[in-house]
Amino acid sequence: MEIMDFIISKYNYWMYIILMMIGFYAMIAKNNLVKKVIGMNIFQTAIILFFVSTASKKGATIPIIQHGHGEAADIINTAQYMNPLPHVLMLTAIVVMVSTFGVAIALLIMLYKKYNTLEEDEILEILRTEDG
Amino acid sequence: MKFLTFITILMTTAMLAYATLDMPGFADPSSPASTHVSPVYIQEAYEKTATPNIVTAVLADYRSYDTLGETVVIFTAGVACMMLLRREK
Repeated sequence: MEIMDFIISKYNYWMYIILMMIGFYAMIAKNNLVKKVIGMNIFQTAIILFFVSTASKKGATIPIIQHGHGEAADIINTAQYMNPLPHVLMLTAIVVMVSTFGVAIALLIMLYKKYNTLEEDEILEILRTEDG
Repeated sequence: MKFLTFITILMTTAMLAYATLDMPGFADPSSPASTHVSPVYIQEAYEKTATPNIVTAVLADYRSYDTLGETVVIFTAGVACMMLLRREK
């Protein structure tokens, strides 16, 4: 029973590790540059999921004060609301993720216009023959 | 080369999985992340900013300079895309 509790309390981290390693594998092993960019996105998504999961508390609700605009805000019970800080920081991380993705795709478009391929080894081959 | 890739990934997986042994359990209300800094924000955000949504309060009131920096990031990315993709005359 104890091992079961251990697995239940930790398996979310293991899922993020699996997702992150899928992205990592795509980044370092794939030959197609678009697949590398997709791998980077999966990697970043895994990190975002990890941070958001640390915000959760058992029995808590989303961090919006209930009856907030009423006359008297009720006495706020800290255990009643989830941790808002990881949510905020991951909003920032999502912005950075979208920006990097956009710039990467723009770079890939220009690479394709110049070399007519997105395979890394073919581009390297063209570069080598141009030099020699 | 493929072999080296798999070795790297397996080692990284093992290191990360070992690190999770010290992490607090999922949705644990007494984890360090939910006992040290965030209670202050949950307690005081509504009084100080009059915003019921604490995420918005932190994003736009406590950390508004950070959000301004985010817009600079988006602007830079947009300018970079435009410079890369504009048609050459």
